[in-house]
Amino acid sequence: MSEVFSRRRLRSLATTLAVALMLTLAAAAGCDNHREPPLPSVLDKLHESHVDGQAKLKIGVSETEPLMGELRNGVHVGFDVEIARYIATSLGFGGEQRIQWVALATEERIPALQSGTVDMVVSSFSMTEEREKLVRFAGPYLVTQQEAMVPTRLRDQVRTIEDLRRPGLKVCTSGGSTTEAELEKHQVQTYVVKTVGDCVQGIRKGRYDVVSSDETILAGYRSQYPTEFEIVDLPFGTSELLGVGVPIGDPALRDLVAFFLQKSYLEGRARGSSPWLSAYNRTIGPWLKPDPDKSQPQPLDVPKLVDFDDKAPR
Amino acid sequence: MTTAPAAPPDSTPAGSTPAVRTGPPPADPAERRARATQSFWTAVVGVPAVFSVLRLGVEAGGELQTTLLLVSNVGTVNLLAGFLTTAAALLSTALVAVFALGAVLRVSVERMPPGIRRPLFARWVDITPAWFAVASFLLALVTWRLLYLPLLLPAFVAAFQLDPGRLHEKRVPRILLLAVGFAGYLWLLGPTVLDAGRQGEVLAVVLLVVPPVLALFVTGPLPAAVTRPLASVTEAAVLAMLVWAALPVISTPVLPLTVTTVESAPGVTEDIRGHVVTVDDVSMVLLQERGGVRYVPVDQVRAQVLCPSEEELPRRQLRVRDFHVEDSLLEGLGRRVRPVYRIDAACRTVT
Repeated sequence: MSEVFSRRRLRSLATTLAVALMLTLAAAAGCDNHREPPLPSVLDKLHESHVDGQAKLKIGVSETEPLMGELRNGVHVGFDVEIARYIATSLGFGGEQRIQWVALATEERIPALQSGTVDMVVSSFSMTEEREKLVRFAGPYLVTQQEAMVPTRLRDQVRTIEDLRRPGLKVCTSGGSTTEAELEKHQVQTYVVKTVGDCVQGIRKGRYDVVSSDETILAGYRSQYPTEFEIVDLPFGTSELLGVGVPIGDPALRDLVAFFLQKSYLEGRARGSSPWLSAYNRTIGPWLKPDPDKSQPQPLDVPKLVDFDDKAPR
Repeated sequence: MTTAPAAPPDSTPAGSTPAVRTGPPPADPAERRARATQSFWTAVVGVPAVFSVLRLGVEAGGELQTTLLLVSNVGTVNLLAGFLTTAAALLSTALVAVFALGAVLRVSVERMPPGIRRPLFARWVDITPAWFAVASFLLALVTWRLLYLPLLLPAFVAAFQLDPGRLHEKRVPRILLLAVGFAGYLWLLGPTVLDAGRQGEVLAVVLLVVPPVLALFVTGPLPAAVTRPLASVTEAAVLAMLVWAALPVISTPVLPLTVTTVESAPGVTEDIRGHVVTVDDVSMVLLQERGGVRYVPVDQVRAQVLCPSEEELPRRQLRVRDFHVEDSLLEGLGRRVRPVYRIDAACRTVT
């Protein structure tokens, strides 16, 4: 009898506890519903960034690098330009009327960001430790290698880095580029000009013999003169990570760009199509070494942000 | 709500004992029934109507003329449909709370000496037909956020007093059945719980794991000492919850949010963020998000996009089998039907 009684008491005690816990949980859920989001949102970051409220987004691009960034019939085209358009649209600057394109030479990219002439640079900008002291990078959005391009008449004479050191061979590159530093490291005498385009024109006029730069940039010029030039695969051993440069004082913008690059990266992995893949296939893809599995490189240091489309099925 | 009863809630559920009262003698049953029917329908029609008008006032920014403009342009049916869309979760929460607490209080009072006045929720449970309670739970099932859905399990068990003993009369099969049930639950939610743990979301872990355990103990009578205070505290709490949760419902917009691009002069465009009140042959009437009404000539409208509002931003990055935890089942299923979500660029920059 007493056992039944104590059992019943235990049972009612358990019910009391369960009901109390249940009410606490319901209250906690109710409070949780009203609290501030724990993760920052894209909109929060946008409000923090200096581009918030601007009528136009000023993007620094190249106008002289075929396939990457060039001005063709008054229209900016190329892989960098397509990536820039994707980022601008994601940031809320949709359509050409909301973008102000600023043509930048290789060595003007960092000063333009520092002086506020541009809000971001998408122009074959290699992410290096040296540069990261001056600007912020989001990316990489492309990984490329340093190569050399020679006129077809010299294709059998330039095969190694040693060949570049040969006296009499005039090697040309653009100033302020990572290639310039790399060639210097390998003790290669170079002629430094403003853009890679100047080197190419110089070779065509007989002033130089070899041009060295990123594989992507060289592929662009080769697409212009497919019969005149050949790209030589030189074992420089370093890969170039191309990133989007933003002013050092705007970490929010860097986070946003990294977030949207990551979004495209994830989309490409999940669906096999993404803004990056379509930009790549429309521009430089066909001119680089064929690679059926080519995919976007994973961006680094991507922040966790919430956005309106987070709830959509993956 | 589509589950409004066709007949008034007049019957006492089978098996329940008649109410013991100490107040004035009960009125004639027919009269009581008529009164209950009348109050029920008054509440069903009146509450949403009052709420909707209040919402219009808030939406208009408290301006009389703007409120009148909205009143003249927003149809009654649209208003009620809009109200139910945003308030269904709140409504079902209130009903579920009343039924769960009422049922627990009812069995507790039955064990107490006769002559005690029955708590309000217990009396409500007495007069509510079972199908109405079930319908409320179904409404909650489809409108509650997935993260809070586990709470519905102990609430359901409490409302219908489903003791674990009902599963099987013998102990071993009963434990086995429960173990299988829990294993299935963990299989369904395991990855989400682990993910929540990794993200340090303690509340999410607790909300997902604890409620099914509570469901085992939540049935049965409460000790007499607890019943009385619990009855009064929960009545006040449910009322407070209703008021507290009703505020966001009142301030939820009635009209969809858009960004309209207007070309007032050749080459001069302006983006207006606001709600479209009405469009006729001459102008489009926009209630700007920051306040104020704009009459834009229709031939100047160049583009218009639908935008999400900031309240729709998710707070967490947790999913249950690809359903976001902050979606209800209905919303989650809807996203399967239209899986691509596009945020237009104009929605980001125009404020």
